[in-house]
Amino acid sequence: MNPIGALAVIMAAVSALLLLHYLVLRPPLTAGVRLQLLLGLAVFPFVAAVATTGYGMQRTTERSFCGSCHVMDTHLKDAEDPHSPSLAARHTRNHFVGEHSCYTCHANYGMLGYPLTKLTGMSHVYNYYLGGYNKMSLEHFHAEVRIAKPFPNDNCRLCHSGTLGSFANVKDHLAVLPDIEADRVSCAAAGCHGVAHPFTKRPDELGQATAQQGEGHFALKPPSFLQPGEGGAK
Amino acid sequence: MSSPFLRLLSKWPTTKALVVACLLGLSALAIMVAGVVLSTPLAVVASMSVAQGLGVLACLLFGLTVASEALVARQAKKDAGR
Repeated sequence: MNPIGALAVIMAAVSALLLLHYLVLRPPLTAGVRLQLLLGLAVFPFVAAVATTGYGMQRTTERSFCGSCHVMDTHLKDAEDPHSPSLAARHTRNHFVGEHSCYTCHANYGMLGYPLTKLTGMSHVYNYYLGGYNKMSLEHFHAEVRIAKPFPNDNCRLCHSGTLGSFANVKDHLAVLPDIEADRVSCAAAGCHGVAHPFTKRPDELGQATAQQGEGHFALKPPSFLQPGEGGAK
Repeated sequence: MSSPFLRLLSKWPTTKALVVACLLGLSALAIMVAGVVLSTPLAVVASMSVAQGLGVLACLLFGLTVASEALVARQAKKDAGR
């Protein structure tokens, strides 16, 4: 629990004590009791609510939060696998992204990116608890469920701006630059840098080009925890 | 006291409203703490939505109670002055 979470709990505990004191003793409504109720029903709960919101917003950006639903088990295990060659795992190993790799890559870009990302997250909660995802097997989920909108290249270019030589001097980048900028070609496409979560894709979705990529790019091979005899998926 | 709102306030059940406000407040606080301690998606979402709704409701009940008390006191003062 971080300091904001601790503040929320302390404020809630103080408020609860004040309210319980009133409920148990039921004193007459003097000025002192009114002040006690004002603190217990308005002032301290307001601080607790602000702290809870701050804690919740921060918590929803953590990888362990994203991976807490069973349908995200393989995504989480792959991202945390130090030997996985997938795009998601390679980004997760980057300390700059650290514990927030899911949020960093999937958060919308721009001024309204933060609230829009949180709204999209609410649809995930809805789909999981009321849309039947919580009853799906992993195999069914991987076969049926896809990202709601194509992954925008802007999210990649938040870090990989494309102005340095390592990007600009690559002929493949220059050849498709207008298509990259218009999102007609995805950075995370099979044949480019490979899909981020390849174990969720059918072979026809991965494409021949990805299968032929060598070291440093994703090869068409499931991560170790999905291979038979090594734990496997649920 | 012609306004329906003022009529409602004059008949406001002060003690009951405060008890309900305290219970709502305690529920809100419990959900907030659960969100922080459990940190699961449903608990976190509830702590940022349901808990805050209950908290606002509790606060409103308290505000109405204070307003009703002030109104009754003012009315009593007026009656005493006549």
